[in-house]
Amino acid sequence: MSKKFLSRRAFIGSGAAGLTSIAFSSALLEALLSSTGCKTGPGGLAAADVIIPDDILAKAVSHLMAKGADFGDVYVERAAFDSVMSDDRKINTTTTIEKGVGLRAVKEGRTFYAYTDSFEPERIYETARYVADAAAAPASSSAPPVITLAPLSSTLSFPITPLPSEIAVDAKIETFKALMDRAWSADPRVVQALQLLREIIRQVNIATSDGRIVRQTLGLTEIIAQTYVKGADGQLQAAWDQRGAYAGRDFFTGPNAFEKIVDAAAAKAVKLLEAVDSPRGVFPVVLGPGMNGVLFHESCGHGMEADLVFKGSNYKGQIGKQTAAKGVTLIDDGTIPQFPGSYAFDDEGTPSERTVLVEDGVQRNYMCDKIWGAKLGLPSTGSGRRQSFRYPPIPRMRNTFIDKGPVPAADIVAGTKRGIYIADVSGGGQVDVITGNFMMGVGEGYLIENGRITRPIKGATISGMGVEAMKSIDRVGDDLALFPSAGRCGKMQSAPVGFGMPTIRVRNILVGGKGEAWTDIEGDKGGK
Amino acid sequence: MDYKKEYLDIAGYAVERAGKAGRSAGAPVEAEAYVSDTESIQVNVSAGAVEQMNAVKEAGIGVRVLREGKMAFGSTNDLSKKAVGELVDGLVKKVVYHTADEFNVIPGPAEGGLSAGTAGYTDLGSYDDQVTAVPVQEKIRMALRMEAAGLAYSPRIAGSMMAVYQDGTSYTYIANSNGVGGWFRQSGVGAGAEFTAAEGEARESGSYQNGYVKWADFDAEAIGRRAAENAVSMLGAKPVASAEMPLVVSPEIGVQLWSFIAGMLSADEVQKGRSLFAGKEGTAVAAGSFTLIDDGRFKGGTGTAPVDGEGVATQTTPLIVDGTLKTFLYDCYSAKKGKARSTGNRSRGGYSSSGGVGTTNLYLKPGEIEPEAILAGIDRGFYLTVVLGLFAAIDAASGDFSIPSAGFMIEKGRKTYPVRGVTIGGNLFELLKSVEKVGSDLTWFQSLGSPTVSVSHVKLGGS
Repeated sequence: MSKKFLSRRAFIGSGAAGLTSIAFSSALLEALLSSTGCKTGPGGLAAADVIIPDDILAKAVSHLMAKGADFGDVYVERAAFDSVMSDDRKINTTTTIEKGVGLRAVKEGRTFYAYTDSFEPERIYETARYVADAAAAPASSSAPPVITLAPLSSTLSFPITPLPSEIAVDAKIETFKALMDRAWSADPRVVQALQLLREIIRQVNIATSDGRIVRQTLGLTEIIAQTYVKGADGQLQAAWDQRGAYAGRDFFTGPNAFEKIVDAAAAKAVKLLEAVDSPRGVFPVVLGPGMNGVLFHESCGHGMEADLVFKGSNYKGQIGKQTAAKGVTLIDDGTIPQFPGSYAFDDEGTPSERTVLVEDGVQRNYMCDKIWGAKLGLPSTGSGRRQSFRYPPIPRMRNTFIDKGPVPAADIVAGTKRGIYIADVSGGGQVDVITGNFMMGVGEGYLIENGRITRPIKGATISGMGVEAMKSIDRVGDDLALFPSAGRCGKMQSAPVGFGMPTIRVRNILVGGKGEAWTDIEGDKGGK
Repeated sequence: MDYKKEYLDIAGYAVERAGKAGRSAGAPVEAEAYVSDTESIQVNVSAGAVEQMNAVKEAGIGVRVLREGKMAFGSTNDLSKKAVGELVDGLVKKVVYHTADEFNVIPGPAEGGLSAGTAGYTDLGSYDDQVTAVPVQEKIRMALRMEAAGLAYSPRIAGSMMAVYQDGTSYTYIANSNGVGGWFRQSGVGAGAEFTAAEGEARESGSYQNGYVKWADFDAEAIGRRAAENAVSMLGAKPVASAEMPLVVSPEIGVQLWSFIAGMLSADEVQKGRSLFAGKEGTAVAAGSFTLIDDGRFKGGTGTAPVDGEGVATQTTPLIVDGTLKTFLYDCYSAKKGKARSTGNRSRGGYSSSGGVGTTNLYLKPGEIEPEAILAGIDRGFYLTVVLGLFAAIDAASGDFSIPSAGFMIEKGRKTYPVRGVTIGGNLFELLKSVEKVGSDLTWFQSLGSPTVSVSHVKLGGS
């Protein structure tokens, strides 16, 4: 209860450490889906998505608003979590079925929240009255207002094909066993391997005091692989890879195939056996395309979330001002099909959108939900998300990426005399979301010597201030890649997010490692 | 909050139902049910007013079934007989697809499992009814006082970033088919705050948080002042040049390091070949001054409980004694596999997780020396007070670390100016062996405790 108490710092991609807690049975999931008739999981409106009928939702909202609240909403959810995991060559599954109703009232910018695990109308109303009382304005005891709800629809949809329940349990285990065998036979030096496949179906009904009603079903599939290898000298190295999408298994083909992920974990671990200790000091770092976008999610993105802006992050009051190097554009996009941060509506019923945060180095916008956006005088960008019915929504990132630039990617390394190339920052990390002070471990990295990628390195960390890192980007490549990640962002609540970026170079950044100290490094081999 | 017999009953029902489902499938099935019932309040305040209040009441059940060496786990927050019955029936069917493992076990008395029934397990002082009895208005006042105390600490405090009060109480009910069962209760109350400090161009933030079992031990204003002090003291921090020097680890950082090490002392990690402590039992792994203890029965500890997450009695387990590795932490599975006894360290995050090996109250045994005297012996060194991404910065496979850090320079035996923008680099195993002095100032942060500790040398990477 008190062990994970109060951590405000955001963790992301912290390895396979958090793998053990989620789960479900296909039988239960099937029961869930067949009871709703949902066979395609549309993002928009469908009768199949009804958990609680309109009239009960409307009455719950009116109870919330009865004591003078400015805004209220009801969030109904049921979810099934099914996971298959292989650890130490043992295949096990877990199952979780959860349901609940979250009730929120907002008065003068203050949020009052409670939830119940019951769908009984009387229990929902009772919880609504409790919240309304907590938020009550003195001397306001008017009769409950009448709320009329109008459904919203969207052109975005997130089909789940196939539905997890359409794959028989034995077939599922067979597929998974093949993955396990593949991981263990990837290299003779493999000593331990772990694979996790997680499938989640979340069905949500939202009703708001401004008359909106949204019903949607989302299906999330995630695959994570971690492999340990032992070298001849006894050294142990571990590496991992992962993908996630709001889609069924049909998404996981080509570069996202389950096999590719298992192979990549082993290949990265093996490479570490031959790696040299990372140099340390302040010098140029070239970041490869795709998942390295997590670095900017951590170090800059959080500071652009409306709640943290309001509380005084580095990005407060910066709209129209230079917050990154010229040529750098940062986007948070909740509409990319199948990506883990995408959805038709956010968790307070606002349509999702593509939000340009930084354009050519100039701050243009922040990520806003209704409440914190209003405090900044900005409209919601559809960024209000919650982990589950247990939490009120807060402003969150979706799929955050640096847009492509003009420089041919190959020229960036070629133009760097000495530094390191980071293929993958998947070594985990932490950030102080207010100051943007960040630290990231390097999963796969190499030395850059005379404009060429040479030996692999191990034990490297990079750290600094997000806003400084963004300002010291001096090359933006033309090879933008988006990464559908299974990494959850953990800002007080867990949320699936995606990342992306092209190859970029950061001129000066603090690199930690056990190797030699590098000083007086000249980044450029030639001029720009 | 009260004991609810119906929750012990539903746990018993789940176990019986599993046995019945097994009998109709013609296979013996063992089962365990774990119900948790929690109540919690969280209050965030900002600028002297409530910013957010969240009230939580929730109960749920997690069930493990064991059929022919195969174990399956499932959970739900619907505690009706119908929902629990469906969950259990599903598990008994699905478990046949799992991998059989001869070490899977649902504990009985032979494995250390305890039976207490409706009377409940022995109370070890892990519950204080004041935590739920205090009215919510008083809790809000505590959060406001904490923020106010921090803001008033110094004229250099520029603002409040976060001020959160949180409490919780829980009742846990366990039943299994081998006669183990009972219930116990726990409480917790605590707060955390973060402030920014400013002077000229310099801007720093500092935070502090702590939690307790008892309402009376909780001092909101002290937490606020301490967070503010942490911000103000860092004003003017700058990097220093790379060098090798002695390191002094503050209790705040010590607990994080020892907790990381305890993770590698999990028998499960050792058996799966993921820990470099494998095969080191009985050998010197740390300096002679280093004694690390896990104590599940420590009076008043926030990690204290009469039994662990599978109903096995908790105990005091010295892990490293005078530098020598004595034992690993075991649950029943890893104990059976390692031909050992469970140390009562099955840790569960709640009903929805079947859990794994974890610590209870973990602490480094204090020494005789005052922390000031530790500093006095150092001509030039680094006093570590802040780390970023500790768990990511230590490679568990090799022990190598490179941790972005902040703290203070030690010059001529005294803490001098604040430092940030540096990394400390080395190897965790070498660090354990180069521990020099262990202070007398054992300090607890919830369930983790450490005194001030000095280490002979570490690589400081800076400008």
